[in-house]
Amino acid sequence: MLKKMKVMKKILFTIVLFSVLSCSEDILDKEPVSSFSAQGFYKTTSDAQAGVYGIYDAVQSTFRVNFAYWGEGRADAVNTNHSGDPLVLQQNTLSRTINSARWNSIYETISRANYAIKYIPQVTDGDFGLQLVGQARALRALSYFYAVRIWGDVPLITEPYESGEQDLFIKRTDKEAVLDQIVADLQFAVENCRESYGGAKDRILITQGGANALLTKVYMWRKDYQNANETADKVLNNSLYSLMSINDWSRIFTTGYTNESIFEIGYDETQTNALRVLYALGSDSDYFPSDKFRNSFEDDDLRKNLIYDISAEQPRKIWKFFGEGFDDESPEPSSNNIVLIRLADIMLLKAEALNKLGETQKALELLNVIRKRAGLSELDEAEAIAMYGDVESAILHERLIELSFEGHRWFDLVRTGRAIDVMQPINGLSDEGNLVWPIHEDALNRNPNLEQNSFYQ
Amino acid sequence: MNQKSNKYPKRFERSFRWVPKVVLPVLLMCFISATAFAQEATISGKITSADTGEPLLGVNVILKGTSYGVSSDIDGNYTINRVTPGDVLTFSFLGFETREVIVGNETEINVSLNPAANELDELVIVGYGRKKKRNLTGSIASVGSEEIAESNQQDPVSILQGRAAGVQVTSNSGAPGGAITIRVRGNSSLNSGNDPLYVVDGVPIESNSLSSLNGTENFGLNPLSDINPGDIESIEVLKDAASTAIYGSRAANGVVMITTKRGKEGAARIDVNAFTGVSEISRKLSVLNASQYREVIIDSYKNMDNPVEPTYAVLDSLSPRNNGDVDWQDEVLRVAPQYKVDFSVRGGSDKVKYAWSSSFLNQDGIILNSNYKRVTSRLNVDFNATDKLKFGQSLSYTNGVNNRINAGGSGNLSVVRELLIRPPSYSMYLPDGSLNGYQWGKRNPVGLAELATHLNKTNRIIGNEYVEYQFTEGLKLRSNLNLDYISMKEDEFLPSTLDYRPGYNSGAVRAINNLTWGNETYFTYDNQFNEIHNLSALAGLSFQKWNYERTGLDGMFFSSDNIRTLNGAGTISNQEVNIITEHSMLSYFGRVSYDYKGKYLAEVNLRADGSSRFGKDNRFGYFPSASVGWRFSEDFLQDSRLVNDAKLRFSVGQTGNESIGNYTSQGEFAVGANYLDNSGAIPSVMPNSGLTWETTTQYDAGLDVALWRNRVTFSADVYLKQTDDLLYNVPIPRTTGFSYITQNIGSIENKGVEFTLNTRNLVGEFQWDTNFNISSNRNVVTDLPDDLLTNGYIQNGKYHILKEGLPIGTFYGWKFNGVYARDEDNVNGVTYGALGKQFKGGDPIWDDVNGDNIINGDDRQIIGDATPDFYGGITNNFSYKNFSLGVFFQFSYGNDIYSEINHQRNSVVRYNNLSTDALNRWREQGDVTNFPKPVRDDPLESDSRVQSRWVEDGSYIKLKNLNLRYQFPSELIGHLGLARLDAYVTGSNLITWTKYTGFDPDVNSYSGLRAGVDEGSYPQSRTFIFGLNFGF
Repeated sequence: MLKKMKVMKKILFTIVLFSVLSCSEDILDKEPVSSFSAQGFYKTTSDAQAGVYGIYDAVQSTFRVNFAYWGEGRADAVNTNHSGDPLVLQQNTLSRTINSARWNSIYETISRANYAIKYIPQVTDGDFGLQLVGQARALRALSYFYAVRIWGDVPLITEPYESGEQDLFIKRTDKEAVLDQIVADLQFAVENCRESYGGAKDRILITQGGANALLTKVYMWRKDYQNANETADKVLNNSLYSLMSINDWSRIFTTGYTNESIFEIGYDETQTNALRVLYALGSDSDYFPSDKFRNSFEDDDLRKNLIYDISAEQPRKIWKFFGEGFDDESPEPSSNNIVLIRLADIMLLKAEALNKLGETQKALELLNVIRKRAGLSELDEAEAIAMYGDVESAILHERLIELSFEGHRWFDLVRTGRAIDVMQPINGLSDEGNLVWPIHEDALNRNPNLEQNSFYQ
Repeated sequence: MNQKSNKYPKRFERSFRWVPKVVLPVLLMCFISATAFAQEATISGKITSADTGEPLLGVNVILKGTSYGVSSDIDGNYTINRVTPGDVLTFSFLGFETREVIVGNETEINVSLNPAANELDELVIVGYGRKKKRNLTGSIASVGSEEIAESNQQDPVSILQGRAAGVQVTSNSGAPGGAITIRVRGNSSLNSGNDPLYVVDGVPIESNSLSSLNGTENFGLNPLSDINPGDIESIEVLKDAASTAIYGSRAANGVVMITTKRGKEGAARIDVNAFTGVSEISRKLSVLNASQYREVIIDSYKNMDNPVEPTYAVLDSLSPRNNGDVDWQDEVLRVAPQYKVDFSVRGGSDKVKYAWSSSFLNQDGIILNSNYKRVTSRLNVDFNATDKLKFGQSLSYTNGVNNRINAGGSGNLSVVRELLIRPPSYSMYLPDGSLNGYQWGKRNPVGLAELATHLNKTNRIIGNEYVEYQFTEGLKLRSNLNLDYISMKEDEFLPSTLDYRPGYNSGAVRAINNLTWGNETYFTYDNQFNEIHNLSALAGLSFQKWNYERTGLDGMFFSSDNIRTLNGAGTISNQEVNIITEHSMLSYFGRVSYDYKGKYLAEVNLRADGSSRFGKDNRFGYFPSASVGWRFSEDFLQDSRLVNDAKLRFSVGQTGNESIGNYTSQGEFAVGANYLDNSGAIPSVMPNSGLTWETTTQYDAGLDVALWRNRVTFSADVYLKQTDDLLYNVPIPRTTGFSYITQNIGSIENKGVEFTLNTRNLVGEFQWDTNFNISSNRNVVTDLPDDLLTNGYIQNGKYHILKEGLPIGTFYGWKFNGVYARDEDNVNGVTYGALGKQFKGGDPIWDDVNGDNIINGDDRQIIGDATPDFYGGITNNFSYKNFSLGVFFQFSYGNDIYSEINHQRNSVVRYNNLSTDALNRWREQGDVTNFPKPVRDDPLESDSRVQSRWVEDGSYIKLKNLNLRYQFPSELIGHLGLARLDAYVTGSNLITWTKYTGFDPDVNSYSGLRAGVDEGSYPQSRTFIFGLNFGF
């Protein structure tokens, strides 16, 4: 009996001991296992690399639909039957609730870049780190470049948000100051990004050439033709890039990763975009080529049939991005890359810059390279003037056709001061203040310190 | 129709014509033989109550072993004939102990009956213990094993629907094993942690759906299905703070205590319950046929601003893809069989008590190919090692295989959506004999059901091992180790026939391991002083840990649609998941109860909970409660013949809610934000180290009364529940890169009334009991911080808003006032905001709230409320001799449903097939109708608005359950070796009275705050079963 009691006491003692020991407050310290605690992420070089790919992830969502809404929706090459953003943009009745007025994913890109720019130098200070910061700054510049072109003045944020105590309610910064930051970021990227990563990555990551190309576009937007011309030279001399032949022209978009591509956003079967719904949804896509666009081709332009179905009386789709003859009724996402900058774009920009700098002949040489590829005759100055009024117009017309639907037309019109002239007959656009988008209602609601663009107040 | 219904009675009559011819003579013979061969006597006497000496009316006096008997009259007198010496008379009366008397040679037998242990002396499960119902000071709803058996539900939550006051249950899905939403006294949280805590035999179990395929919340599973209702002894729902505070930070939404059957001393009792049955759709919906559909499409082109020739391929009725005429409901819905077998052995000695059970359920769903199979096994054992030391366990294992159907959500992968909106003209097969699986944005629902795979396999162990040591008479130590382990594997496959891309198929696999385990160790003390002071106390500590792991892979380009495992995938996509999250909790708890002579009752509880989810300085929360009760019947009504017990009780206390992400307070950097094949990491959660619990303060006042010796018992409760420091994702400027930061903000109030009435209307040979409950809860958001509000409210998903002064579940949108009959009827020239286009004949008339003749966002208004005014249920149980009949009605009144599925069924924008309502559509100037003209690419965007047109009255009353049972008399089955044999038929969801036009008004596509939306869930079914219940 006594023995039994002893055993029992032991059992009891064990129970109580177990309970008490296991109840140390340490069990309440739980660090995330499959993610990182907010401030504890950047520790190794591979974290730095992952942080930068995370920025590209946001770039994917930024442009999956909006590259077309922003770059084509308000311009003259497209027409639409579709309610929502397509119709609103085309009819120039922008309201502060349209989707393309949201800047969420642009600022998500910026936020992720700000984290990378702040923390990568603390993890790795060698070349590897610098080129990563270079990419991060280039992507931040890309985002701000779209932001200033779409909304004008925007909040300029270059530090990451790490606590609710920081100032969350930032005012808008003058767009010139934002552009200064963009140029500084891109100059840093030109200096530090790799010339090449080897293989397909040269097209889907920001290289030195990519940074230069983007910088060219920024200089052109700022009408800094001297710098644009010089920067474009660096792109043209870059051995990574060469023009595709006309036979392979479609491949730039359908397969991607061509030598003509300078920066394209990578997508695949699971990371998808809306190209098909935008342009190629059989009889019912968001956009189809406008009559004006279809009538603006010169005869014998080899690209015409690569862009849309010329046999159709009223084409309802654009097959440029999917290949001649593409016919599909599926309203499902697509996996093609979106080519954001390519060599032809930079060549034509350089031509424009040269023309502005008075070097018309050199400008025409560049223009003619592109025209020749399309099976068109070479133009001299007189012919250009005869056909299009002046050399700049000839170049812009070439951009309209060559770069059609790639998200450049609207910005070309605004940049060259032609937007109102071109769009007024189509949708009555008449006010300079109307050239920007409204700031989305949701952004205004979330931040009382934001003021709406004056045209939309 | 008429012919048919006339035919049946005739045949029926004919087939039963033999009854009198055969049965009567047999009965007569029995009668004669009984009278002829026995020495019969007549016995009479008086029956009184042993404690008061009063005569008892209506006592059953039965000749044992027969169904022959009489009952006593108003003076307690009875007379029974045909009794022979040696017979046994059984005297039984509700509320008294049954007594048996062996008949000798006397002719008068007077009997006094002892009052039975009152049902108020029954023990009710409370947190960490049991308590006499009589002495409860909290509010607890209880459902017993008989109701569970009658319900024919296969999970413990559905059983509560309409049976427990203050507990609102809605179905997210009618699929076998599908998800269910339960709310105890309303929604008390904004961040969707609104589910109660479930405790099974002392184990806090996982109650959230762990299914991770498809990711849509309306495609969840009900983890409570892993518990076989046949094993359950009782379900208690703890509602007020006095009952729940002992569970502290997890108890703000109530606690559901499930107690399983344990062995009792005595010989082994073997029970078998087997049933088989069928289910069918309870209501089919009307859809257009192919030619009607084409007309609508043509109209939609005609009605365009600039009409174009209809070119859409859908009109080409000669195309082999498009020459069908199918009502997809007929192709997909079926009459589905089910069966179940329960087997149990229970018994024990003074040393060991055991209860072992096993069950198998095989249930087909009413949508093709959906099926749920479940095997459960349970062993509950209690050992008395010595007089002082006890130990034992409750251990259950469940294996579930659910062949699921994607039947929720808004995409074209949902079978339910496709079976209603896939145009009737789309052919089933192509000319080459293959299935026309995908066409123009619509998938073939038959293909989706039969060819796609959504297979869920669950293995689950719930266990509790305990040791209990009794130091002295009143002092005990108990320690138990609990665990709930779920291992789940899910497979998904979409064959290329159903994909929009030729040759493209995809598959996925997920493996989930979810473990919660912990220890609870506590002392209990019970004592009585001077025979008048009763004191009991509880003090203990516990820890609990949770670990959740999910592993998965997605693949595509399988070489064949017939190899569906991932090894057949051509490409393993970069969607690998392997996630582990953890959470832990450390708690201290205590309770003191005191009563004076069982008259004046008082209790206090306190729990301190520490959770890893909160920042270091805010880890611990303290949850106190206090309650008092006064059995005033002891003071005033002792001599009352009417009232035999009456109690007033009052409680107040606090509970918490810690249902937020495991790492929200410390912020997170997420991985998996990949760029093509390159893995990326992104800041995903903004940290807030100051986060703390939501705190609910609840007041409850209740009255419990029992009349006429418990012939009538009723309980009434009023309560007020105030929840503060709501955890909410506060929107911040998106320029920060985040959309929200989680903060403690705002308050919600729930107040309500609950009423339960149980009556024994008839006792004696013919018995009739009624159980009725009704509850009403008013929910209102009382405080939201101003800087959170845009236009004074928070948009809550697509259909709802949150606004101070309004309930959660308020629908917000444009009010539809009919259709302009002609262009001129728009006398004010009302226009669509953004475009300035005028509404014309055939367009909807929108309520122009601010009268500015522009319809825009400012014209939205409250268009409905998903919260019912009241809900409840009523059960009537009848029994006569060996027959018993249970009739259960369940109702909900005053709730609205936003029928998104009806919107889909009337949306020409997406080329959907339409309901037959569209036959009344506006066609030309002057048409007076409430169905607007269909317009292709409608610039007025009439279709996409959240609008009152889709808000319907969701009130209903349902004949939820009808159960008829026959208990074979023991003399008939004795020689079969059976101790019991019951045969029963049960019909479930038999009739629904409602105005709702969807499949079923008991619908709730989303859990959480977005209540009352019907996105097209798996439809409810009507079920008929036949079963046998026998024992040895």
